Amino acid sequence: MLAARNITKRFGTTLALDRADFDAHPGEIHALVGENGAGKTTLMNVIAGRIRPEGGEASLDGVALPVGSALGALKAGIAVVNQSPMLFERMSWEENLAFGGFETGRFDLATVAANARRLAARLGFALPYPGTTIDERSMAERVRLEILRALSFEPRVLILDEPTSVLAPSELGAFLHLLRRLRAEGRIIVLITHKLSEALSVADRVTVLREGRVVERTRPAETSEAELARAMIGELPEPQTRAHLAGGDEVALTIENLSLQRDGHRILDRVTLSLRAGEIAGLAGVDGNGQSELVEILARALKADSGEIRMIAAGGDAALAVIPENRDLVGLILDMTLWENLMLSRPLRERATRRAWLDREHAIELCAGLLRRFGIRAPGPEISAAALSGGNRQRLEVARAIASDPRVIVAHNICRGLDLAGTAEVHRTLSEFAAAGGSVLLISSDLDELLEMCGRLFVISAGRIRETAVSERNAETLGMLMAGSWT
Amino acid sequence: MLEAFLSSSIGMATPVLLAAIGELLVEESGIINIGIEGAMLSGAFFALAVAYFSGSTALGLGAGMAAGAAINALLAVLVINLAVNQVVAGTALDIFAVGITGVFYHKFFGITGKAFIVPLIPKLRLGPLADIPLIGPALFHHNFLVYVTIALVPATGFLLWRTRYGLSLRAAGERPEAADALGLDVYRLRWQALLASGVLAGLGGAYLTLAYAGTFVENISAGRGYVALAVVILGRWKPWGLAAASVLFGAAMALQFGLQALGTTIPYQLFLALPYALTLAVLAIVGGQAASPSALGEPYRRP
Repeated sequence: MLAARNITKRFGTTLALDRADFDAHPGEIHALVGENGAGKTTLMNVIAGRIRPEGGEASLDGVALPVGSALGALKAGIAVVNQSPMLFERMSWEENLAFGGFETGRFDLATVAANARRLAARLGFALPYPGTTIDERSMAERVRLEILRALSFEPRVLILDEPTSVLAPSELGAFLHLLRRLRAEGRIIVLITHKLSEALSVADRVTVLREGRVVERTRPAETSEAELARAMIGELPEPQTRAHLAGGDEVALTIENLSLQRDGHRILDRVTLSLRAGEIAGLAGVDGNGQSELVEILARALKADSGEIRMIAAGGDAALAVIPENRDLVGLILDMTLWENLMLSRPLRERATRRAWLDREHAIELCAGLLRRFGIRAPGPEISAAALSGGNRQRLEVARAIASDPRVIVAHNICRGLDLAGTAEVHRTLSEFAAAGGSVLLISSDLDELLEMCGRLFVISAGRIRETAVSERNAETLGMLMAGSWT
Repeated sequence: MLEAFLSSSIGMATPVLLAAIGELLVEESGIINIGIEGAMLSGAFFALAVAYFSGSTALGLGAGMAAGAAINALLAVLVINLAVNQVVAGTALDIFAVGITGVFYHKFFGITGKAFIVPLIPKLRLGPLADIPLIGPALFHHNFLVYVTIALVPATGFLLWRTRYGLSLRAAGERPEAADALGLDVYRLRWQALLASGVLAGLGGAYLTLAYAGTFVENISAGRGYVALAVVILGRWKPWGLAAASVLFGAAMALQFGLQALGTTIPYQLFLALPYALTLAVLAIVGGQAASPSALGEPYRRP
């Protein structure tokens, strides 16, 4: 039996795992479900020896697993198929598989390839041409190769982290069949997924994680998709219709038939959406369903394959402000001062420019004014952005976006990691912006936030967008929509 | 005349190729070793000093390799264990090596004015091969280090692409966190590669003093370590590519000596600059993108 007890893991100030317990028995497929950031992958990384937890222990058949040793876990019989395959790009697929258990003593790639072909044929997987390197392979091919490598270790425990999202439908049947066969051989299969239907159809037991805690342990026969969705997302506030944030008839921005493909995968599929003046519209979705790409396209950092974005509101493209998801990496330059960060915005820079020279005094004054207006707690405009807390960094970004006088703001996971007060502050700012006639597209994986803030609510899944009716705005329905029950 | 030119090209290419092969190993493990110039210079000085005082060429060569390894061990502590920026640490060690060899040189030889000279490693004629017209003298009439270096080219290719160890080394340079997850010891692999690179750079330095100059002058390596860095890029991280790029540099060296000997009125400094200018020009044309290990230059910290 695979057992994890009281696993606690902290990343900075966030508690990724809070005394999580997990059991899986030989001859069972155990689904581990939860939203993004619920701690699924972290829990499995602890078991696989890749992360050292602050507390708790894991054991296999009563023998304690070595803490923080990937090799120890592998030798104990734990193999992992990673969410983003951990393959070596410049090496051929045979060389990648040579790190597995396909070998018989001598280093011989031909033997590795032959053994891999035998296993692949059993699974119904197609293998690439001999000698092709990984960097030329698609995501689905990479996942297949990683599954082969994991299985080559003949593991007692096979952990699969969201493996099915990139498999072709034609491969899915064979893959699930394979899982069942591995189960019949008495192995322990852990399937990490956020696709509830999949968990229910193939698993013997289901464990649900929410915010680092195990909130539910059940069997498919004893539960339903709706029940699991509720456990996964938690209780939601009563849906409210925010008439005052639903906007008028005037359209500010239209997105028409936006499509994007990458590595042969459809990232965005004919996304069509129009944003009204004075509304806050929400876009809900599990991370990785095309939101980031949509934001990048709106920010003109990425080009769509087809489709059109049109700014109808006054000011044209310059009046569209985009607040991307990862603020430390994209939005702010931490080594620069607060006022310098503000000057990265073109409209603000123009306001502080006198005869082609940047008026430093004016820029600092402008910054000080914004710090006061948005309640950003900072000693002054001349400290570096790195000295701000996460919440204040986020507020600075919102302040910069609003101060540049846009008509439309697109904000992605804007309150992630913010405390309650910080969240309320950002929400108040956005509400005021919308009340004054601006339009907001709030993209978030936090349903509470979206239900509280938005007049209209859209759901994105596998790159497709669908508007929700008021009657659908409850945890179960939204959870199922986000899990792609309609695509 | 042509024979002499070809022979000289091979001779001048050898120390650069030795250092470049070491650099290839260490870059495949994910580390860019700017300190290679320092390792080479230290190897040159300590090889000569030990050979001079002991009277043994073999001990001198050993000391050269040990000195290169010692410099790289220092670098390994900095860039592997302490995850210091590799370019900064490597550059610091280059400067350190100029300083320490200069100080020792003046301490032992600067004041006394004694001749700091050792006999050169003798050349070997490889039997009837050396009698082949043109190719014979160019390729088969050299000191043994040249033959060792030529043998190292396919050997390095075999090590990197035909053995499990080479595969592991490349894995460390390609995606260290994945290598770690598969149970490879990235720190250990990178340490080994850096030490091997130090030994080879030190040997390249020893070649300069024991097989080429017979003496030491300050900064005798004269940027050959940096040229080795360029050679790895020019050679597209392939051993025979490295050999070709080294010979190109060696030929430019041989050519500039030849031009100097012609006794023109052109300032000799222009000829001295020729091999370096040529390396730079070819590098600019061929370019250095792709082909490099994915994790090259990134410090790795175990999670």
